[in-house]
Amino acid sequence: MARREIATTYIHEDKKLRTKDLIFAGAFGAIYIVLMLMVVMVGGTIPILYIITPLLVGIVCATIYELCVLKVHKFGAALILGTLFAVTTSSAYLPGMLLAILVAFLAELVMLAGKYQSKKMFLLSYVVFNLNMVCPFTNLYFNRDSFMAMATEYYSKEYADGVAAFATGWLPFLQIGLAVAGAAIGLVIASKLIKKHFEKAGIV
Amino acid sequence: MNLTFYGGQERGLINLDPRTKFLIFLASGILTLSSYSDTGVAVYSLFLCVVIALCGKPLTAIKSALPLGVVLYLRAVLPLSKGAPSLIVLLITALSTVFMFGFPMVMSLLLIVKTTRISQFLSAFQAMHLPVKVIIPIAVFFRFLPTVADEWNGVRKAMAFRGIRLSPVQIICHPWKTIEYVLIPMLFSSIAVMEELAASTMARGMDVDIRRSSYDRIKLGVADYCLILIIIGMMIGVMILGHMVKGGIAI
Repeated sequence: MARREIATTYIHEDKKLRTKDLIFAGAFGAIYIVLMLMVVMVGGTIPILYIITPLLVGIVCATIYELCVLKVHKFGAALILGTLFAVTTSSAYLPGMLLAILVAFLAELVMLAGKYQSKKMFLLSYVVFNLNMVCPFTNLYFNRDSFMAMATEYYSKEYADGVAAFATGWLPFLQIGLAVAGAAIGLVIASKLIKKHFEKAGIV
Repeated sequence: MNLTFYGGQERGLINLDPRTKFLIFLASGILTLSSYSDTGVAVYSLFLCVVIALCGKPLTAIKSALPLGVVLYLRAVLPLSKGAPSLIVLLITALSTVFMFGFPMVMSLLLIVKTTRISQFLSAFQAMHLPVKVIIPIAVFFRFLPTVADEWNGVRKAMAFRGIRLSPVQIICHPWKTIEYVLIPMLFSSIAVMEELAASTMARGMDVDIRRSSYDRIKLGVADYCLILIIIGMMIGVMILGHMVKGGIAI
């Protein structure tokens, strides 16, 4: 018990990002991206599921994100996670990639506002962070013709038409809404799971 | 577990620098999303298979090239089959598309994971004078992908052992339970691995911010420069072709 207390005080006092924290951030990044890709791959087969992936990913991945930031407890965890996400998913469209990194930075600022102590701010930061699920779709918003050309070539005319039916002017707002809703649902699950399993085990 | 899981010792015909492999990884993301053509992705996928075979993993390359061939054949045959039920056609199109789309990414990941050891990765990027804070998360990211796959298999087996099925029906009927059953054991065992990794880096003195030496000679060779040129050429080609497709010119 005493050892654990020493460990926690060590974590809370040390503000600098150590190698240990970098390892946690990179490893959680790998888990996050594998799970996200699984959800997107399954959803990618059906246009409507593809459009609502921000919701699905928000629900599934909230626990991983929360564990990551609670484990590291310093500036940088969300930023590293977000950058890894941006490089693996939206590297084809540069503005989208930069936007994803910016979103991760904003999430980091939200946590900074809570001084890396307040639980509410940790939770709130995921709502911001999950907006990065919208970033791979920026190609669809701003570069619509090329996206349609790709969908027609890879899938079929029907699939492209299916996506096009949803891709109207309000799509970005719908997806931002879905991302926020997904994050909210995911956070309810995440806080329950973390309380039930990880806090008892003394991991966070 | 086989020991070559995290990068083996044996050497292939060509030994690529980790930086070249990383470039291939980045390029496959960009190329698949902006080539707008099946043929382009197929050619690039085969090219990746050849690179992996040359890097000393011919078995992996053949194992991956076979399903690719099957999928390409299906996609070529599909438009000709007029009589088939449309639902099956749609399903095959969707599944084969996901396969084609993910294939280059997975292959380039395999190239990094199967043929590079972490120490090589670290020293190659250190030679580029990147700060440790950038290198370590990336290196751990690649090191951890096979671990996640490994843990996932373990969780699935444990669930089957206890009689919990992971079927689509189960996932749709009990989404919350599925998330809990899969995520919690996976995260617990992954966190244990992370702690071990952290302890190991501590023992290796990675916390000290000085330039580290390495047993591996890391240098860009002739093969690396050739591949980098090929990749850059492909990117330029894809961009020109992409603009042509966008302009409505059929290839």
